[in-house]
Amino acid sequence: MAGTIAPDSILKEMAELWVSLGKQGEDGAGVLRACMMTLVVVAEESEDAQGIGETLAALMPEHPSRVIVIRFRAEEERTLSSRVFAQCWMPFGQRQQICCEQIEITASAVSIPELAAAVMPLAVPDLPVILWCRSPRIFHRYTFPRLAAMAEKVVCDSATFGDPASALGELSEAVGGGRLLADFSWTRLTRWRELISQIFENRSLLGSLERVGAVRISCCGKTTPASAYYLAAWLMEGIEKTAAQAAPRFETAGGSASGSLTRVDLMAADGAETIASVGLVEGHAAEVRVGQLVDRAVLPEPTDYALMREELGIPGRDPVFERTLARAAQLALS
Amino acid sequence: MPQENPFQDPLRFERRVPECVVVIFGANGDLTKRKLLPALYRLAYERRLPAGFAMLGVSRTPMSDDQFREKMRESVEKFLEDSPFDADIWTSFAQGLFYMAGDNDDPATFPAMDKRIKELEAARHTGGNVLFYLSTQPSQYIPLAHGLGTSVGKSSGWRRIVIEKPFGHDLASAQELSEELHKSFAESDVYRIDHYLGKETVQNILAFRFGNGIFEPLWNRRYVNHVQITAAESIGVEGRGAYYQEAGALRDMIQNHLVQVMGTIAMEPSATFRPDSVRDERSKLLRSIHVMKPDEVLRDTVSGQYGPARMGGADMAGFRQEPGVRPEAQTDTYAAVTFFVDNWRWAGVPFYVRSGKRLPKRVTEIAIQFNEAPLAIFNGAAATSAPNLLILRIQPEEGISLKFVSKRPGAGMKLRPVSMDFNYGSSFGERSPTAYETLLLDAMIGDATLYTRQDMVEASWRVVDAIHGVWSDHKFEFPNYAAGSWGPKASDDMLARRGHAWRRP
Repeated sequence: MAGTIAPDSILKEMAELWVSLGKQGEDGAGVLRACMMTLVVVAEESEDAQGIGETLAALMPEHPSRVIVIRFRAEEERTLSSRVFAQCWMPFGQRQQICCEQIEITASAVSIPELAAAVMPLAVPDLPVILWCRSPRIFHRYTFPRLAAMAEKVVCDSATFGDPASALGELSEAVGGGRLLADFSWTRLTRWRELISQIFENRSLLGSLERVGAVRISCCGKTTPASAYYLAAWLMEGIEKTAAQAAPRFETAGGSASGSLTRVDLMAADGAETIASVGLVEGHAAEVRVGQLVDRAVLPEPTDYALMREELGIPGRDPVFERTLARAAQLALS
Repeated sequence: MPQENPFQDPLRFERRVPECVVVIFGANGDLTKRKLLPALYRLAYERRLPAGFAMLGVSRTPMSDDQFREKMRESVEKFLEDSPFDADIWTSFAQGLFYMAGDNDDPATFPAMDKRIKELEAARHTGGNVLFYLSTQPSQYIPLAHGLGTSVGKSSGWRRIVIEKPFGHDLASAQELSEELHKSFAESDVYRIDHYLGKETVQNILAFRFGNGIFEPLWNRRYVNHVQITAAESIGVEGRGAYYQEAGALRDMIQNHLVQVMGTIAMEPSATFRPDSVRDERSKLLRSIHVMKPDEVLRDTVSGQYGPARMGGADMAGFRQEPGVRPEAQTDTYAAVTFFVDNWRWAGVPFYVRSGKRLPKRVTEIAIQFNEAPLAIFNGAAATSAPNLLILRIQPEEGISLKFVSKRPGAGMKLRPVSMDFNYGSSFGERSPTAYETLLLDAMIGDATLYTRQDMVEASWRVVDAIHGVWSDHKFEFPNYAAGSWGPKASDDMLARRGHAWRRP
């Protein structure tokens, strides 16, 4: 099935959509339109459309955007089609609906070059374009950079890439080339990192960092995931700022949630003493142990919504991520 | 030893709270139960508190740590807003809650407290940092500050003290309070809390004014016709009659909350967002508010008191019929003031400020009315031009609206005013922290941007004392407005004299 998409007619269709939504408003209340950016979502057609839709709907109240969802078909036959609709919600206790516009495009991977040219005019002028690539197949397509070129920031998930070492190497190379990138494998670590960082906010515990000689990272699954390399790289860099050196140790164990972290230990060089640790307990809680002090915090498994929400909150470069990515890639490839 | 935490990531992590003990006086009181503990719990839930955080509650009632924890758990479960209660988080948080019974008038209380703080410092690694929160009657501030002296909780860390309004009942008492506090705490360690400044939308005024380039050029006497600040409450004194009859709307609301909001609206841009830089500008503005002479007070202020009324099928008591209120009370349950700012930016621009109880609805908002277009070229059009109005709504539906004139679709040049609305709550779906979460966090971090400084308190008392002095020499014919109305007619007349009218929020 072949087809074309005409940006002008899609834009016209959207304008008509707003007029019709305005007419639907009860008591002349109309609808409110809000927009902070264009969010382009690249997904496989086989992916659960409802799940993506729910994630986007959850993101919209905080990051109202024009959303362009590009769903790629598995077959290589040249395909392009589109439809336009609005996502609306009625805030509690309010009379007016808030609406964001959504464009859905169905395409085949071979259409990427012409797709890039068609999507560009659909972006909201003067606002950033964020590209969320949920499909590793498309991310690795040699024509993907043409699609990515229109975005200020590209968000991906290296956990879906297969081999963590080559994934980290590939991402590091892209960042080195100037691309503004985000990786959910790193984003998933924020709460872990925050818990570790909070330990050393305490000045009396900060001194104990100099005694750390090893970091042990435990995770589920058979291979060390990209997130473990990220965490090790970040910890090593932090510890080196205190003039100490820490060697990473990775431990994997079977489990259903393959690739997820279960525990981090900061240990003295001889390995006999654990200076601080953060470990998962009873589902989605984390236990922080420092000497005799034991503290517990919620550590829910981050959803796509939570991860994307965090990344949309950082429109510019993230120097900590970029430094850590370079080091994690070295660690994984060594 | 490293000087700072090498794992900081300000782009992604929330603001960092240093290790500390928070000592709350009046730990068995209403504010602690309704606001402070839910705010601290919420901070723990959001993982903002450091490991080893401790809170020591102090009040007269004898109680064990466990009894106190149980009591606080009940309060948090009851008063937690927009947030789930997590039993596991509570268990962990409650391990850091401690209690000691102590009489503030008993000198033995303070050495015992010092001993307890030192024990907590050793057990919880709090680094000697102590935040004293005086959730007590204002009459206790000075005795407590004396008791704490320079020794209680003093070690290698910092000591800060938080006090709630009122900061005195006039300029002299405010100065005396500051002098007494300064015997034990440096001014930089005194945090005078004004929960209005902790509200997300009041902070958003700073973002709106200084984060955008298009409004600031209009923000002056050339373009602004006048400003209206309204803080209306639909409720009465709700059992606080005895306290309120000594305070009144002018001193309870305008002297602190609304004058501070006016300062935020009218201040000059701060060079940086450092606490003292922002507070210097706000203070400078407060010092520029014109202090009225007696004849100006009679012309530019209105005092009101609500009388009984029947609303929605129910009889509403007048203020003088409220429990604890004297039948001849001269208390202002409504106050309206026309302020002027004596500086180049605002000279001649009236700032109408009003606050009252038993008004038709609960609303706090700021309306900035711009001058009309200099030439009405659409004369004869069906709808005449209307002034541009920028409305900053603080509560209950936080947001910003801009009103302007637009052509009605169709033949001919018919104009009508339209409103462009930004709704904070629905444009951003994220839960906003409560004012107490924000302000407690700031005090622990040492960020005093949203706290009131001594010079600001004194500047606002200078302005209000001039009004109150005239009012106290005057016998008002109260009540002069019915419960459920928008205040006395004299208030409308005050604006009408300058060709203006109160907005109906």
